[in-house]
Formats: sequence, C-alpha cells, structure tokens
Amino acid sequence: MAPSHPRLRATRRGFLQLAGTSAALSGLGQLGFASLAPAARAAAGPSFFDPVETEILTQVMERIVDTGVPEAPRVRDTGAVACVDLLCRSLDPAHSAPLPLALRLFEWGPIFFDLRFTRFTRMGDAEKDASLYAWMNSRLELRRLAFRGVRNLCLLGYYSQEETWPLIGYRGPLLPRRR
Amino acid sequence: MIVDLGDPARAGGDLVESADVCVIGSGGGGAVAAAELAEGGRSVVVLEQGPYWTGADMTQREDEMLPRLFEEAGMRQTRGGAITILQGRSVGGSSVHNLCYAFRTPPAILRLWREEHGLVELSDASLEPSFARVEAGLGVVAIREDEVNELNRRIRAGTRALGYSGLVTRHNRRGCVQAGYCLLGCSYGAKQSVLVTYVPRADAAGARIYAGARCERIEREAGRVKRVIGHALGRDGEVRGRVAVDARVVVLAAGAVASPDLLQRSGIGGPAVGRHLHLHPSVLLAGFWDDAFHAYRGIPQSWYVDEFIDLERDPHSGVVLMPVSGFPVLTAVNLPGFGREHFALMRDYARMGGLLALLHDRSEGSVRSGDSLARPEIRYALDEADRRQLGDGVRHCAEVLFASGARRVVVPYTDGPLVLHSPREIRALDARPVREGTVPLASTHPQSTCRMGVDPLTSVTNAWGECHDTAGLFVADMSVFPTSLGAPPQITTAALADRSARHILARFG
Repeated sequence: MAPSHPRLRATRRGFLQLAGTSAALSGLGQLGFASLAPAARAAAGPSFFDPVETEILTQVMERIVDTGVPEAPRVRDTGAVACVDLLCRSLDPAHSAPLPLALRLFEWGPIFFDLRFTRFTRMGDAEKDASLYAWMNSRLELRRLAFRGVRNLCLLGYYSQEETWPLIGYRGPLLPRRR
Repeated sequence: MIVDLGDPARAGGDLVESADVCVIGSGGGGAVAAAELAEGGRSVVVLEQGPYWTGADMTQREDEMLPRLFEEAGMRQTRGGAITILQGRSVGGSSVHNLCYAFRTPPAILRLWREEHGLVELSDASLEPSFARVEAGLGVVAIREDEVNELNRRIRAGTRALGYSGLVTRHNRRGCVQAGYCLLGCSYGAKQSVLVTYVPRADAAGARIYAGARCERIEREAGRVKRVIGHALGRDGEVRGRVAVDARVVVLAAGAVASPDLLQRSGIGGPAVGRHLHLHPSVLLAGFWDDAFHAYRGIPQSWYVDEFIDLERDPHSGVVLMPVSGFPVLTAVNLPGFGREHFALMRDYARMGGLLALLHDRSEGSVRSGDSLARPEIRYALDEADRRQLGDGVRHCAEVLFASGARRVVVPYTDGPLVLHSPREIRALDARPVREGTVPLASTHPQSTCRMGVDPLTSVTNAWGECHDTAGLFVADMSVFPTSLGAPPQITTAALADRSARHILARFG
C-alpha cells in the first residue's frame, strides 16, 4: 500500500465541496471547463499546483509512466512534476484553470465514480492502475478527456527529462540546454 | 521595427497606431501580405497575438518549444477531444514549425474552385506570377538525394516495392544541417519560414510589427473597415495594455480558427463565416524495425506517397501518405495506453518510424466563438465516406510500413493498440473501424472557414479575399480555401496572400 500524503486527509466538508463542483463540471461536457474562473490561480504564488495537487500529480504520473524497469528514473528524482507545473504557469488561464480540479477528481474518483471507499493516493499500485483504466475507458466523455489531458501532461513532464532518454534510446538535442 | 508587447523586460502600456494597412497575424499568409504591401510603399502595422521568438530561442526541447510555438501548447482539440489541431502561435505562425513540403495548388483543385465555386479569376495563368514570387521568397528548391533521411529512404523503398506512386518533394530550406528538429523550430536559420524571409522583408520596408497583440474586434463604418482593437498580452496571458489601430485596409490572417472567431465577434462575414471547416485529418501508424536507426535525425519529410489520390479523376477525395517521426514527448502522447503497456512501445523508440495517412476531406465542421477568446469552439465530424477512406489509408500505411522492412506495425486504437506482425494480419483492421474516438486524429491544416466564393450566403470573401460585406477587409490565410486543398498548403496560402496584396496595392492607391 502506498503511503498516504499528510496533506491529503479526507474531510467531509472537502468531499462535499468537491462533489458539488464536479457535479457542475459534468454538465460542461468538455475538458475546457471554461466557466471556471480563469483568474482562480492568480493568487496561487510561484507554483501552479498547491502541495496537495502536486502530490496527486506525482502519484498519477508514477503510474502513467511506470516502466517496470529498475533502472528507469523515478518520477520524484526528476524534474518531471516541476516541468508540468512550469508549463501550466505559462499557459493561458483559460486552458490551465481546470487542471487543479481535474487532479482532485482523480484523487476522489474512486469514491465518487467507482464507489470504492478509498482515495487514489492511498491505493496500492494495482488499484491505482485500475482507477486510471476506469478514467481512460469511462463512458463519460468528460472523464476520458480529463484522463487524456492529465496523461499527456505526465508524459510530457517525464519524457522531456534528459535522464529518461537513455531508457528509450533517444540521443537528445544537438544543442546543449541553456541554463 | 519588431516589438514584443509581452516581453517581461518591457513596460506595459497602450498601443495606439494608424496605418494604411493593418495585418492581423504574421504567419504564412500575413507575413507575405505585410512584406508585399510595405515594399509597395504602404504604411503597415502587423499585430501578432503570439510572442516573437528567433532561431536563438529554438532549443530543440519539447517542454520548451511546444508551449512557445503551438496554440494551447499543442493540445488544441475539436469539441469532444477527437482531433488534435496543431497551429502556430508566434511571429511566423505555423511556418515556424511546419515540415516544409512545398506544393503548388493542384490544377484540378483550381479548376474545381473555378467551376463549382464561381471563382473564374483563379486561373493557373493568373496565379503563376504569385507562385513564382513566393517560391523565390521562401527559397523553394528540390530536395537533394543526400537530404533524404533514413526513414524516408525506407518508406520510399517500400512504396516502390509495392509499385505505388510517390515522389521526393521540394522544400524551403537553405543550408540545412539535417538536425531533424524542424517541428520545434529551426535553430540554424536554415528553414526558410516567413520568420526569416517575409517578416524581415516587411521589417526592412518599414512595417511596424507588434507581437503579443491580441485582436478582439474589427470595427467598421458605413460598410468599410475602420479600426482594429484588442489588448497587449503578457506571456502568461495577463493584459498589459490596450491596442487600437486605425487603418483603411485590414488583412486578416490569423488562421482558419482565429480568423472566423474574430469575424464572428465583430459581426462580420455573413452566415458562412466559421462554416465549411476542413481539417485534412490524419492518422499516424508506428512501424518498428529490427535496428535502431533514429528516424528523428535528418529532414523529417521528403518522400510523399500520392498513389491514393487522383484529383484529376476525383477532386473531392483521396488520401496521401507521409513519413513522420517524433521526439520522445510527441511520440509518447501519440502511443496509446499508459504504464507498462505504453512503455513496451516507448522502449523501442529508436527503432520506430511513423507513416501517416492524411485525408483530403469532404466532411465539414465549424468554428464558433467560445466563451473565452483563447478557446474557440471547433466542431468536426467525419462523414461515412471519409471514415472509410481514412480506414483505407490506415491499411495502406500498414502495407507500406511492412514493405519498408518494419517487423511490427502498431495502430494506436484508444481502447488498446492493435499490433500487427505481418501483412497478412492487416485484415484485422476490417473489424476495427477508424473514426473519431477510436484512434487519435490530428490536423495541421485547418482551412476553409472564411471561404472564397461569389454568393455572400455561402462564402465570406470574393476571389481577392475581400469580405463580401465589408469593403477594405481582406482575409489572407488558409481559411479562404473554398474546399479542402488535398495537398500541403504552404505555397497556396502564400500565393493567395501575395495575390491579394497585389490587388490591394492596385486598388487602394
């Protein structure tokens, strides 16, 4: 069983807030979620995701890019999550605003959609994979779109890290990275 | 003068300008028009929503270049997410990231536009001077044999082994070092995009070019265009000031998504604006060879399979096949699934090469203004004939990949990849339809949303690109194509913009 992050304790109030928000969300029918206030992240400080969202993203990414290869760089040992955070900060708010909520839905998805009484970050690897498959193959277009968006961000974050390139035989850019 | 209003090192503030001509968008149409008009002696202001990057900013790294060069960091999608649309968002537009195929408009398509859309002015002879000028301006030359990279050589060998028709194309590169990073912008100044050709020409001729300037409305007075208004934007989208440009002529060249969006927001264009969207949708198959040959090195696309399109016989449909390779991120997001199943494909990245089937689509979609300026609503669905045709294209891709020496071919069905191990297994595709949602579809050629024509009820502009309902407002991008082009659009876009600019010079003395 994966250890639970201390910032991810369930509260009844938090769950109800999330359930209400996601119910409204489901009516939008598109990952755009454009009715969410684009300025919602304006006061978020230097990081786009807060620590709770960062932990959810990290654990989702760990499953999305699981290689089964011992020598593969661990997500937490790379800048993959920071890369996604930086990307989200650079996007127009109309595109990035839905992502924090999408991550929290991944966290609560097992309870909310699958009636399994545990949260994503408290699950073992096999359970997490099952939860992600449920998102990927959901009959709800919204869930499939959210999965694809988060999956692609995870893949971007991981496979843009130079440490991962030897694993796949990519020789890398011809120009050195500018610092 | 090129000024990036979004540059963090620059103070914000209002931009109030007046000019003979305001050009909206600096891509393959806008930059051509701007240069021609400025060199023709007109005062020109160019407004580009995206930032100004130069070759020095092209780092060959996906995490940096995708958000810099592409709308929505390369994640723009049709409603429902079935089709990813790649469009440029910087000075130079999509010409900065395109792969440099340089085809003139097929004669059969020009004939179609004349005969079925009433555009009698679009004769081969009348367009010849524009083709010649833009090919010279973009440095179009034949691709040399030593510039055909390993992936394209293999696909060519497979195509020929099957007796299919194909050709080594022309391109707009000079002094190419064959690094292979064209899709992420050229670091070497070799790709002759408008960023290094027409934009500098416009600049040298006195055009005032502003990056980070988002246009939000075109105003008119007594049926004539009058003013463009919008806002200066920072890198993260924050408003840094107001933009207002008074002009006698406006050339709208923001692309086939943003151009109809802006016209709709301005109440201009009539009932056809935003309709008739064509996408040239494509499906990408991955082939896996025994050896690690690093398909991403060298010029990405030089071979072009035209066996399955015959525009003289049927100008409305067909499929072309194009070799394609990706860098790790683009490859990863195009492969299906996640976790170990996904990595089982990624681990053979160095042995992988792609071939895509690109559809000359008859299906039509639409662009409508969304509730955010940054997110227009794009709807598109393939009709049954196009689905069948794209499915045939996928079969041909698999066939050519095997004939090219691939040992495995992966069709990226979203509910689980179909892995083929021999040509005999291609028949398995009969049971797996190719349509929106079953495989990832992509488009780099949205077009036709402000199409040319003679009827204001079914078209937006006349044969010169001027809007039927607004004198002095011209459209000069892929949105004016009356139908799907059925060929890579770079030269057609530039030639029609050149032609419109010449018309403006003659008419607005």
